Amino acid sequence: MRLIAPVITSTALVAAIVATAAVTGSSVSATAAPTKADGVAMNVIYLLGDGMGRTHVTAGRQRFFGASGKMVMETLPAAGHVGTYAVERKSGQPGTADFQPNLVTDSASAATAWSSGVKTYNSALGVDAKGVVVPTLMEMAKKDGFRTGNVTTSEITDATPAGQMSHVLARGCQGPVYSAAACQDTKITGDALPTSDVRVTPVADQIARNGTADVILGGGLGRFDAPDEIALKKNGYSVLGSIANQEPATEKDLESANSGKVFGLFNKGNLTVEKAKQDKPLAPEALEPSLPEMTGKAIELLSSKSTKGNNSNGRGSNSKGFYLQVEGALIDKRSHANDAAQTLAEIKAFDDAVAVALEFAKKDGNTLVIVTADHECAGFNIIEKGTFTNAEAATPPGNVDSGNTANNSTPTRPRNTLSPTRSTGIVNGSGSADTANFGPATFHTPDDPAGTKDGSPEASLWLSYLSGNHTGADVPVYAYGRGSEQLQGTIDNTKLFDIVGRALKVVR
Amino acid sequence: MRLRSRTAAVAGLLAAVLVAAVVAFAIVGTKGTAGNVASAAPGPVATAQSGSAARTSFPGLGAAKGEPELASIKAARPRSGQILQARGPFDDRFVLENPTFNGSVVSGAVLVTSDVSDLLELQVLAGFYDKGGNLLGTNRFVHHLGADSHAHAGVPQERTKFIIRVPAALAHRAVSVTIGVPVLVNE
Repeated sequence: MRLIAPVITSTALVAAIVATAAVTGSSVSATAAPTKADGVAMNVIYLLGDGMGRTHVTAGRQRFFGASGKMVMETLPAAGHVGTYAVERKSGQPGTADFQPNLVTDSASAATAWSSGVKTYNSALGVDAKGVVVPTLMEMAKKDGFRTGNVTTSEITDATPAGQMSHVLARGCQGPVYSAAACQDTKITGDALPTSDVRVTPVADQIARNGTADVILGGGLGRFDAPDEIALKKNGYSVLGSIANQEPATEKDLESANSGKVFGLFNKGNLTVEKAKQDKPLAPEALEPSLPEMTGKAIELLSSKSTKGNNSNGRGSNSKGFYLQVEGALIDKRSHANDAAQTLAEIKAFDDAVAVALEFAKKDGNTLVIVTADHECAGFNIIEKGTFTNAEAATPPGNVDSGNTANNSTPTRPRNTLSPTRSTGIVNGSGSADTANFGPATFHTPDDPAGTKDGSPEASLWLSYLSGNHTGADVPVYAYGRGSEQLQGTIDNTKLFDIVGRALKVVR
Repeated sequence: MRLRSRTAAVAGLLAAVLVAAVVAFAIVGTKGTAGNVASAAPGPVATAQSGSAARTSFPGLGAAKGEPELASIKAARPRSGQILQARGPFDDRFVLENPTFNGSVVSGAVLVTSDVSDLLELQVLAGFYDKGGNLLGTNRFVHHLGADSHAHAGVPQERTKFIIRVPAALAHRAVSVTIGVPVLVNE
């Protein structure tokens, strides 16, 4: 990130203009508002697959489109890689003497990196590694007049969406209530902060009151309470379903939403995984909107606001467009569980959301679409058919979690017998041929002979995991639209803050 | 005299411009500069400046006055010997297993049934009652990932055992108990 250098301008004229703008309350970027010469307002749609590493994308491609096919995200013209490391508590930023990197990030630190442009410690949201509040792109965009949206398949208070809409020392401070263990971090602050401090105010309380996002869609109704509903309505939101009665919103509620500010949570917890909905189409959870459906509705709500007025582009002359973040959260959650079937279905749903965003961008002509991830999860790998190696497991991890709907199941993942000496491992270990075992999980692809079944040794796509947690691997990034060329090559995740911020003209 | 006057005027103009530029930077410079919104010193002052886009205060939102309670525990009137589950905001995300009360300790386990990779936060709150079903007081079990005794172990913690002691002041008076979960955050 390039900080604005404290250099006094060299000419009196520039200084006077800047000073006037500052004193009158306008800002420098306001002078860069859309003009005919500059083009119309810029929209940014930022989509991320939580935990989606390069291999997740490849596996999704092979599973759904075949070896020679492409996921929609892979058709975007710009492609690169993003470094994701975090830092330790109290660390300085890169380049400073007290810089202490942590090579494997969590979702909170990663979200803060692209939302606020700073490295921070795992668990922190909207604060740097020393506990200082840092503004987010969504807050800056909102303040600058953009319409804003935040869509996820997780609880809306979870790290990724919360990274744009809150400032807390610890991601566990989600609500509905404060607790010292969940919200305070005296390793950062020394003494406990007063409970009125934003950094220990539950995320749900902040989201309900700060108006950062105009359109909020996802899960996590259980994090909010009746006073939150009052606060949201006071701030002009149409609240779908009922917070006070803990009645989740429905797909029909979403379809009928047409107001400017919409708050819709469709599950008390995380939304239901796609595979569970496909397997049980008549279950109530199957009626939750999908990620592509929520993405389409969010774009509709955010873009319709900017159609006020009638200039040549169909946009109001004062409209600034919108900034929308979309998260496919369950890719990560199902990767943690080493459940490849559910993970693949979530990757496909996420890619379908990318398709919705891309279609809008192509029609609109002035929308930057960025598709990336916050980190890789679980060391997902495509292994050669007929092989299995796990350096530590004497037997493959059992895939007994396949019925997990993410909300009401009883997942279990028995411990494996670990090698005390980190042996070279068991090759084709006992149980590897048992299709009930996960490692490796096998899936047919469009290239396989007709009738090839998932889980059979004949299926060509063999998948395995290294762990049940995040890894430090770089993640892919794809982009379409004006400015997308900046995503070529390898960048750090804080660079995403600059790229999006400049596209929105809220960062110079 | 004339020269001095002109020099003074130019100096004055430059000074004004300098001041204006500094003021401008102080205000505009907060825009888009995530790293410079506040002093680096942590603590109550380490929040964004008023010019920041970040909202750091919420008029009308009362500050928390302590650890969370459950209205269902206050409302309950269990009979002697009863162990009841008290309603809380996350009852659809866990199963209370083997709750036991021996007069001085309540124990059991919380099996989290929603998606688990890490159990970040868990509080189990116990209410203790006298023979008349009157609430005498509460005590709680607190799990916080990252605390020394609750470091991440690699395998998801779907079942967490808890032990909650009857506060000393209530010893020998507590004859029944309610158990609820006011805090649960899992990833």
